[in-house]
Amino acid sequence: MIHTDLPPVQAAVTPPPAKRRRGTLTHPSRTGMLLVAPAFLFTLALVVFPLGFAVYISLTNWPLIGRVKFIGFDNYRAIGQDTTFWHATLYTLIYTAIVTVPIFLLGYGMAVLVRSNRRGSVFFRTAVFLPYVIGLSTLSFITLLEVQPGTGAVNTVLKFLGLTDGQTAWLVDTIPATAVICVLVIWAASGLTMMLLMAGMQAIPQEVYESADLDGAGWWAKELRVTLPLLRRTIALTLILSVIGSFLAFNQFYILTQGGPGTSTTTVVMWIYERAFVELHLGAATTLSIILVVVVGIISAIQFFALRQED
Amino acid sequence: MNAGLSRRAVLLGGAGLLLAACGGAGVLDSPDLSAAGFGTKATGTVQLWVRAATQALSAPIVTKFNNTHHDLNVVMTAIPDTQYVTKLATAIRGRNVPDVVDVDDINSTLLAYHDALTDITDLVKPLPYLDKLSPGHLNLATLGGRIYALPYAADVSVLHFNKTLFTKAGLDPAKPPASLAEVVAAARAITKLGDGIKGISFGGNNPGIMGFIGLPSVWASKDYLFRGEPGNQTANVADNRALRTFLQAYQTMWAEGLATTSSRTESGATWGKDFLTGKIGIWPGNEGALVGGGLTKEFATEVGVVPLPGAVSGTCVFDGGDNIAIPRGARNASGAWEYIQFALQTEQQSLLPEAGYTPIRSDVATAVFRAKYPRTAVAVDALPTGYAEKTIAYNTAVNQTSGPFFTMWTRAVFDGDVDGAFAAAQTGFTRALGQAQT
Repeated sequence: MIHTDLPPVQAAVTPPPAKRRRGTLTHPSRTGMLLVAPAFLFTLALVVFPLGFAVYISLTNWPLIGRVKFIGFDNYRAIGQDTTFWHATLYTLIYTAIVTVPIFLLGYGMAVLVRSNRRGSVFFRTAVFLPYVIGLSTLSFITLLEVQPGTGAVNTVLKFLGLTDGQTAWLVDTIPATAVICVLVIWAASGLTMMLLMAGMQAIPQEVYESADLDGAGWWAKELRVTLPLLRRTIALTLILSVIGSFLAFNQFYILTQGGPGTSTTTVVMWIYERAFVELHLGAATTLSIILVVVVGIISAIQFFALRQED
Repeated sequence: MNAGLSRRAVLLGGAGLLLAACGGAGVLDSPDLSAAGFGTKATGTVQLWVRAATQALSAPIVTKFNNTHHDLNVVMTAIPDTQYVTKLATAIRGRNVPDVVDVDDINSTLLAYHDALTDITDLVKPLPYLDKLSPGHLNLATLGGRIYALPYAADVSVLHFNKTLFTKAGLDPAKPPASLAEVVAAARAITKLGDGIKGISFGGNNPGIMGFIGLPSVWASKDYLFRGEPGNQTANVADNRALRTFLQAYQTMWAEGLATTSSRTESGATWGKDFLTGKIGIWPGNEGALVGGGLTKEFATEVGVVPLPGAVSGTCVFDGGDNIAIPRGARNASGAWEYIQFALQTEQQSLLPEAGYTPIRSDVATAVFRAKYPRTAVAVDALPTGYAEKTIAYNTAVNQTSGPFFTMWTRAVFDGDVDGAFAAAQTGFTRALGQAQT
């Protein structure tokens, strides 16, 4: 048995240590509250309030011009009959499925090529990343010119190679137009994937590879057993960014096809834009936006779950 | 417990007030138009919003106004066309609207319907030149017998033809096509000339252009697309014989190779430029595209102009262009009305052809004007028979690439499925009307 024999007087004489007020989760300290207050206010003003306001708008008829009327959940109920929205959702899913894998594979392949500091790798990195820096809007306008029948570079080259008569109207039919946009996006977006993966690859300790070398692992084995598993989080990040970007696609479609012919290349965001600024129904458009936010959130959560690191 | 409840109540109440404040006013009060000296002795500044696409027509008028009015200054702001309605809506919610708005006349119906414009009927009725104003433009700004805007500048679609090519093809330039069937026949004859010469060219990849140059052929026989008053309209497509004839005529021209291949992809960027090369026989379009495209004096003598021939009968032109209005909530409505009156005077209207636009007053077309602007004079003369659909669904139904008109056009003309396109169009127009009118 352990016991201490402290003289009883000591407890009476020694003053109790000054009691520092410590916060708890339910009652945070004042200093702590003050420290997080700016971030809290920013979040409140820039995230919580706009989101709450959006929910409120979605419960009204909110025309761009005119009187606002509270209509409850009518906008949400109307989504079921909005065939264009469902078509746009399906098209956006197909588009996302088409571009995601090539963006990742191309980005990964290029990251492998440029991860070491060999001669020319800086130039290659810059060249591949440049389209992403230029931006999809500018690239879309350039593409618009270069796929013109007769005068565009694409048709000129295809004619020179004897593959077409140079008069192909790429943007007036659904499939060729989608193909053009997919190629454009894959080219433009793979640069970012390359940069992210390259940074992830360079962060893997060299010792791990040396250890694998000692075990007799070849290039493929190291890539599959070392690089890929250790890049799991970076891969999750690139895929999530890529999928969210594809789900929110707007600029390239607005510039190149305007959603046509008909509504065949209309993406979800384009349809929301049309509902808001062409049909002037901000209430209905906001409802669709909220649905989109929820869907993107769910898809991101699924991706996080699927690619989570098992520590 | 009570404290918690009251805190929650305060938070909820505060949030509600904040939401209401952010919502702003949807409809502003009309300015007082009955004050003594209204529209004649205004002072201060008049904020004028113009469409970026048509600012060239307003700039000289504004300059002239400011040079002659020392107590009243007009400040012109050009707004990109695609953002115009949104920016005006934001201004209304912020209670900070301009004093005058120069809007696409199609949108004047929409804005009047949503109570964004001031009822100026009592100011307009006494105007001595009221009966000289373009009736089609005025009709777009009239709802329930009340007038909310005035015609400002017309952008009229007409049929241009190359007199030299007509002569070479054995056609008489003095007898231009009077029906769409004759347009097809003329295009056939001209295409036979060969050497890269084509019968016709059109902006087939732009719904706005095709509505502009195509629909007047449908309206010529009074076969309108919409029935009823704005806000409560139904589509008139399934039994629209003129619409079917129009689609069939263009489908024939496309299928037989009478039109340029770029007619399918032309989205407006180079619209009309091929006609200026002298290798196109017929070009339905407007004066603005010719002037903007670099029409030379030499080539101008080869260009003939007539109103667009009807698909079934008659002729018609699209009453495009701008209407001018005083938004509700305008702070200097008196100054605004003074500017509007000034801009509608014949002296100012006579300046419009220089910018490629047509005056909206028939009395502008004097002998001197006709000699100086012969093509524009044709457009002025056509204004009494001009038309544009008065609806709040025009943008949704016709101007949008994804709209039912363009879907029908593409399927019928380029895919060759006139029957299928026509069958689907009634549903599409009905849905577009439903979405716009809810």
